[in-house]
Amino acid sequence: MSIDTRASDAELIVRSLTEPDLFTAVFDRHSAEILRYVYARLGRDLAEDVTAETFLAAFRCRAKYDGAWPDARPWLYGIAMRQISRHRRVEERRLRVLRSAPADGPTEDHSDRAAERVTAQRLGPRLAAALTALPRQDRELLLLVAWAELSYAEAATALGTTISAVKSRLHRIRVRMRHELGDEYAVNEENDDE
Amino acid sequence: MSDINALRELRPAPPPAELEAMCMAARDRFIAGAAPRRAPRRWRRPVLAGGLTTAAVAAGSVAVLVLTSGPGAVPGRPTTAGNSRTVVTTAWTVSEEADGTVSIYLHEYANPAGLQRALQADGVNAIVRPIPYVLQTGFNNKPVVRPTCNYYVTSNDRAPLSVQGAALAIGRRALPALFVIHPDAMPPGSALFLAFMANLPHAAGNIALKPVVLSNDTAPACLPVPAKRPGQSAPTPTAKAGNPAPSSLPKAA
Repeated sequence: MSIDTRASDAELIVRSLTEPDLFTAVFDRHSAEILRYVYARLGRDLAEDVTAETFLAAFRCRAKYDGAWPDARPWLYGIAMRQISRHRRVEERRLRVLRSAPADGPTEDHSDRAAERVTAQRLGPRLAAALTALPRQDRELLLLVAWAELSYAEAATALGTTISAVKSRLHRIRVRMRHELGDEYAVNEENDDE
Repeated sequence: MSDINALRELRPAPPPAELEAMCMAARDRFIAGAAPRRAPRRWRRPVLAGGLTTAAVAAGSVAVLVLTSGPGAVPGRPTTAGNSRTVVTTAWTVSEEADGTVSIYLHEYANPAGLQRALQADGVNAIVRPIPYVLQTGFNNKPVVRPTCNYYVTSNDRAPLSVQGAALAIGRRALPALFVIHPDAMPPGSALFLAFMANLPHAAGNIALKPVVLSNDTAPACLPVPAKRPGQSAPTPTAKAGNPAPSSLPKAA
């Protein structure tokens, strides 16, 4: 088995149909990112298991992978989303915790972001409450864009929908969030568009 | 600030020092799940019964009980085919079954050296290493454990996926855990690798690597985990593709 580090995810996945070991390279590329997302959604206790289950599910259905997408991230996030949805109660508990405590801890510590962080933490409980109040499908989309940092096109692939549907849904979600949080929470979509 | 940025700031993130270990644990589970499986086996606790010969060996504070059965069995000696041999300690039980498989029933992370000896006595080329750590007092006087170094098993260290089925992990992260080893399925020159923090207070948590089959019998190096400085995240080696670390790092025996 030889792994070409320049090979795209699609190439590796196709080759893994005959050389299953190659799929570990896909795992090594994306596991940290998927694990961070699962951790954010479900917490420490389930992060490892759900990440492993996500890649196992991906491994088992790799024959269905659409080779037109060289980057497997949207596909993996779509699978992770379905695995996460199996732990709905855990996620709801976690959101309740977020409503009372802003976050486990910042990922970076750049001083120029301190003001943003303070604002975010002040809004934290209300944001978490607004997230909880969102319909599940809407929450999935918002978190794919906000926490997984997927582009609209990638989020559309993960959700199996179109970019225009993602845009319109996201606009509706953000208007609703703004309505619940007030003017302090500015909707500034131009800055976030891909 | 925009709503998306506010949400990003609130995203809970795993401690950077733990991320690598969490990824490796997930990798172990993925590989164990993806490997071709043999028929599931039920774990049976060893039972003291007539016909068994017992030899109790005290090693420090850890009691070791060696049970052998079958015709001509001699306490403490490898048994012949058809026999079974069980080493019981307060932390774990290693049992060689009549079909040649070896089971590890782990109910405490302790006595890694003894575990290595017991496995080797059962014909498993095993390397069991303690993960060094320091204990600190955290919030609310709870003990907090921090590894001073950790083992990162890379794809170069690992035997191929098709071989990883030789070491099956049954059960979840929580103890007790059961591992079933098939020594016959391990290629010549390969080794079984386990590592865990030994003798930790229960409340402190633990870092433990599930058994993995190495492509050779050299243990990966225990790479130092940098101490976290106030206000700064500790960097960790990354296994992402395109980065040479840690696969190209030197190994220690």
